Amino acid sequence: MKLAATTLMVHSTLAAVSATGVTVTRASTVDVVTFVIAAAAVLIGAVGVVLARHPVHAALMLVMTLFGIAVLFLLQRDDFLAAIQVIVYAGAVVVLFLFVIMFLGVDREENIRFEPLRGQRPLAVLLIALGTAGVLVLGLVSHWATGAPEVAGAANGPGSNVAKLGKSVFTTYLFPFEVTSALLVIAVVAAVVLARRPPATPDPDDPDAASGDGNVIGEEQEVVG
Amino acid sequence: MSPSLLLGVAAATPRFRTPHIDYLSILPILIMMGGAVAIVVVSSLVRRQLRTGVGTLLAIVTSLAALGASLTQWADVADHGAKVTIAGAVAYDGFSVFIQVTVSIAMLLTVLVGDGYLRREDVGGPELYVLALLSASGAMVMGSANDLIVIFLGLEIMSIALYVLAAFNHRRTESGEAALKYFILGSFSSAIFVYGIALVYGATGSTNLPEIADYLSKNVVASNGVLLAGLALLLVGFGFKIAAVPFHMWSPDVYQGAPSPVTGFMAAVAKAGAFAALLRVFVSSFGAERADWQPIVWALAILSLVVGAVLALSQRDVKRMLAYSSINQAGFILLGVQAADGRGVAASLYYVFVYTFMIIGTFAVVTVLARTGDRGHDLSEYRGLAKRQPLLAGALAILLLAQAGVPFTTGFLAKFQVVAAAVDAHSYALAAVAMASGAIAAFFYLRVAIAMYSPAGASGDDASHEPAGAAGAGVGGEAGSAGSGSPAGSGMADPVGAAGGRGGAVGVAAPGVAMLSLQVLTDEAPSPEVAGRTVPVPALAATALGLAVAFTVVFGIVPAPIVDFAHRATLLFL
Amino acid sequence: MLHVTALIILLPLVGFAVQLFFGRRLADPLAGAVATIFVAASFVVAVGVFVDLLGVHAAVRSFTQVLWTWLPVGGLHVDIGFTVDPLSMTMVLFVTGISALIHLYSISYMRGDKDFPKFFLYLNLFVASMLILVLADNLLLTFVGWEGVGTCSYWLISFWFTRDSAASAGKKAFVYNRIGDAGFLVAMFLTFEKVGSLNYSVIFSHLHEIGSGNITAIALLLFVGAVGKSAQIPLFPWLADAMEGPTPVSALIHAATMVTAGVYLMCRINPLLHAAPDASLTVASVGAATALVAGTIAATQQDIKKVLAFSTVSQLGYMMLAVGTGAYEAAIFLMIAHAFYKGLLFLGAGSVIHGLHDNQDLKRMGNLRRYMKLTFWTFLVATLAIAAVPPLVGFWAKGDVLDAAYARYPVLWVVGIIAALFTAYYITRLTALAFFGEDRWRDHRPHGVGSDVAGGHDAAAGPPHESPWPMTVPLVVLAACAFFGGVLSLPWYAKGTLLQWVDPVFGANLYNAHQSAGMLWTLGVVDAVVAVIGVTVAYRIWATRSEHPQLEPAFLQKAWYINEAFDFAIGRPGTRLAAFTATVVDNRVIDGAVNGVAALVRGTGGALRRVQSGYVRNYALAITVGIVALLGFMVTRLWWS
Repeated sequence: MKLAATTLMVHSTLAAVSATGVTVTRASTVDVVTFVIAAAAVLIGAVGVVLARHPVHAALMLVMTLFGIAVLFLLQRDDFLAAIQVIVYAGAVVVLFLFVIMFLGVDREENIRFEPLRGQRPLAVLLIALGTAGVLVLGLVSHWATGAPEVAGAANGPGSNVAKLGKSVFTTYLFPFEVTSALLVIAVVAAVVLARRPPATPDPDDPDAASGDGNVIGEEQEVVG
Repeated sequence: MSPSLLLGVAAATPRFRTPHIDYLSILPILIMMGGAVAIVVVSSLVRRQLRTGVGTLLAIVTSLAALGASLTQWADVADHGAKVTIAGAVAYDGFSVFIQVTVSIAMLLTVLVGDGYLRREDVGGPELYVLALLSASGAMVMGSANDLIVIFLGLEIMSIALYVLAAFNHRRTESGEAALKYFILGSFSSAIFVYGIALVYGATGSTNLPEIADYLSKNVVASNGVLLAGLALLLVGFGFKIAAVPFHMWSPDVYQGAPSPVTGFMAAVAKAGAFAALLRVFVSSFGAERADWQPIVWALAILSLVVGAVLALSQRDVKRMLAYSSINQAGFILLGVQAADGRGVAASLYYVFVYTFMIIGTFAVVTVLARTGDRGHDLSEYRGLAKRQPLLAGALAILLLAQAGVPFTTGFLAKFQVVAAAVDAHSYALAAVAMASGAIAAFFYLRVAIAMYSPAGASGDDASHEPAGAAGAGVGGEAGSAGSGSPAGSGMADPVGAAGGRGGAVGVAAPGVAMLSLQVLTDEAPSPEVAGRTVPVPALAATALGLAVAFTVVFGIVPAPIVDFAHRATLLFL
Repeated sequence: MLHVTALIILLPLVGFAVQLFFGRRLADPLAGAVATIFVAASFVVAVGVFVDLLGVHAAVRSFTQVLWTWLPVGGLHVDIGFTVDPLSMTMVLFVTGISALIHLYSISYMRGDKDFPKFFLYLNLFVASMLILVLADNLLLTFVGWEGVGTCSYWLISFWFTRDSAASAGKKAFVYNRIGDAGFLVAMFLTFEKVGSLNYSVIFSHLHEIGSGNITAIALLLFVGAVGKSAQIPLFPWLADAMEGPTPVSALIHAATMVTAGVYLMCRINPLLHAAPDASLTVASVGAATALVAGTIAATQQDIKKVLAFSTVSQLGYMMLAVGTGAYEAAIFLMIAHAFYKGLLFLGAGSVIHGLHDNQDLKRMGNLRRYMKLTFWTFLVATLAIAAVPPLVGFWAKGDVLDAAYARYPVLWVVGIIAALFTAYYITRLTALAFFGEDRWRDHRPHGVGSDVAGGHDAAAGPPHESPWPMTVPLVVLAACAFFGGVLSLPWYAKGTLLQWVDPVFGANLYNAHQSAGMLWTLGVVDAVVAVIGVTVAYRIWATRSEHPQLEPAFLQKAWYINEAFDFAIGRPGTRLAAFTATVVDNRVIDGAVNGVAALVRGTGGALRRVQSGYVRNYALAITVGIVALLGFMVTRLWWS
């Protein structure tokens, strides 16, 4: 369930990427070049996570993405977030992933040849292309009169970034910040719930529970993860 | 406090004022979360596994306290008016209080149903309540959220707890499978949702809803593509949570696989939370942009209405059927969203509120009937129920009829109001489709009711598949013959709606009543009675069921208080 | 007592609830007794309200009890409100009164049926629905009762659903009624669109604002509803098939509830009809045509209940004729008179059928007057009443209708007189075949369909027997009413009559022929002569038929010829040649459309289900399709906004 909590964090960073992408227009050439490289790393890493056959490769690709994001933070002169990004995600989270993968066995592979719906993969590629194109068209065509405060460079005003981050967490974002703690409780309880194992003695009413061959839902067999 | 003792830097840190916290405005949320934590603490303090009864008691007390707190809020808001608190993150108005009340009640009913389930299935302790309480608090956060970030957090709190809840029954592999599917697709949709938030932030410079609305009212930007993209992606995220077509695919599998009380909870609370946020964000903040998003909601509503109704027809598994029917119901609620005015919001709120009772009550019966192992969901299991347990069958029949929109139930008024709102908003085609789908929907709800009131097939539990199949064929046959009733009725309701009348929901319900008559009549000859197959009905589940039925019937006959409640909630919101 | 108006409806509803929860425990015959008590109590309350209403000054004799607001939604405000005025009060009195008698009768009739409590459950709900329909103070609530009556009638018609014919009869009633209901619904929407309210008094007070075209449209649409429910041309075939229900149900549907609903609705909307002469003429024409056509059909039927069914259709035609003429008082009077004698005829027929062990074939009856004396005499009264022989109630009631028609639409009067001839003819034929002649039932003993009722008579040995008292008491009561009912409205005596009583409801909308006394006498004599001719002819032909069977076949053949012709042209009265129109409409068009839609729905479902494979990646694909579609739409908004 850690995964769920972490996806959340990834999402919030995605939001940050997007927000910064908006303001990069005023940056210098160096910034632009750095941005392109880092962004490419992020995207390639993200695609790699999905495409990699081997789970360990996927995890490493994730590291690449996370590093790219850290660089993007640096580009925004936010060294604190960049450091956190590297320490927490690349350092802790991905290592945890790797632990789990090793624990479950690295040689596990699922049969992804079978495709229940004909044309699923070409269709998926096409749709992703179309979706990306859609967002790009919408982004490029629109007039950039945003109300976004100018945030290129260090956050406005005197004082360090860290202090301002801390301040906003305890003022503007107090409620969101505190509410996030519920997620931690959920994560703990979820770990307890999901770690339970069915009792060894098979239930006479329930043959599936003992044999463990599930996938009763839907038409076909489904093995995920 | 002695900050200087902590670190030297403390002195250098600029001082700032933390925002004032109006505790009453988030009291139900705090109670829900506090109750969850309390149950965790209590269960870790006792040596052996906490007895189910203790957990149930705590959860009931928590739900009741939350309900009481939200009613106190209602009085407070009515007296002192709506406001925005905690640094603009929380909206404290009639709308949010309405959602708190809804969620509290849903929680209470779920606990009542869940107790019997936990005892019967022996799937462990009070974690179910803990997760449900947290999930409910997430839905409440969504209802009170005044900031896209807060909405997202509420969404995740609600959803992640639901993912785990879906996996709760570790004796059923379907449970785990459902959870995994829900989790993967849910994360996907959450990512899209966050992307939407980011784009909206990029376009408006804020995630705070009033600030967004303020910005948009002051800056009229022609073809603001980023905002449009953001709106589209936000709609995808909401569409997933309310299971609107085409973002619905997870719901049949998850409804079927998740433990039955959890499914009921999911159907009620996830809808309440998601619709609350959807209404607040789109109708309130992006009200000026309605020309951009209304057509999308229109399309989602039509797709949900049609696909939900049509696919529900061919289901034999009652939980799957209810999943599709719930998609259909979401389509109805979207009618109110699409109308995008006070009436539409009030109608949607009313719908969500009464649907909570109907769906949890229905799942109370489903839970009870599934027997140990939570497996008896085939339609044939319902056959002859009226003979064996007339009260149970009667209660379920009433709840199903209510969902079908039969007059003198809350379900009728719910459908009536959303259709009326759609007609008021000049969405005639939408109203017509809604009425037609309501007529189709009546068909599959009644199919279950008919099965219950048909003589039981001669089948036993397991071995004899053949008689069960025969019984199924009988039901199918009846379905066919009843078909001669329903489309005729719907066919008449449609042009009527298109003719511009309001309140075509009358026409929706009427063929349903007529069909019932037909189906009862075309029964097969009675088969030998199946004795000794009665299922035990736990007292608490019976209480929940009784509450649901009583609410549905009483406020169907005397609807003014609840209609008024929803209406006033809207007044204090817009 | 006025403030307990709602109790009139509540009592049958409570009875319904009692049956619902305790019906099985009460069982046979206690459940029936309880149901009867509730309806009888409702009648008593109705009488109390009636007495109170009499105390109110005639000009303001209307009282509306609003219980609560049902739909407080935006522009549409609908109350649960019940209005008692002379019109609704009259209906309530005879609906509750006759229903109570039929309940009592059913206790005995349904004895031993395995679903005995269920029968009374439906019966109570039926009465309650009818009362809602009658007392409602707005169109929507009327419609609720309208639908409730319809639903209960399907349940009751197909009560013996194991018979195929009963099940299909229920379905038929459903389809025909839905056609009518569509008219009602559209009328309701149109009304709301134009007036902004569904409340009767509001609608009537805003008539001048909505234009005569709209008034005509609304009146005609409501008439479509009435045509369905009151079985007028062309929607009457269902009523004949509805005979498949138990006999008390037929009596209830025909005499007291259901079919009179259409006539009542037309009377209720009299200001609309008054403002729309075209609609009135349509109503009158359809009514007159129905009276004649159904009368001719009834003259040839072989099943005793089918004769009565078409007789009802014919009588309803008369009522519609009266409504269309503007003689609402006459329509109400005929409705009441009809309730008396048609209830009596049905109960008498039921008594006969019961006595002959479920034999309904007129050709296998005969000479029953010797075995069922009481039934015979009461039946005879009903026969003369419906044949309009003076001084029985039918003479006065039908006379009023025809007098008004003569003054306003002379052509329709001619049609009405011919129909009156047929009426006298068919009903006498029925009586003659059943009660006179030879004991033809001796040669044809029943086939044993449900013949184990009433004490296990040996089929071959026992003669027909008189029915037990719960079945005969209602007969006597109704016979008295049918005989003396004429006093309700006598042409030369105005004070305290029905006319004076209901007059305030209709007021200026009532058509007044201003005929001279001589004219009235002439018309009355014509009516009486026609009736006597019809009775005499039929009696001479049919009472002697069994004595000289070989002398009659030519005429018999001719009669069947007519029947076939009418069958062919109009309806599907269940004779051996099903009517052309109805066959096509019923079996091809309606069934075909219905099956087509059902098949379409299922086919689509199958196709969509294929995507629902259980694979997450397919689901994700569907979500992506949605995303792309949404973004695509937003892209279009960039340029075309």
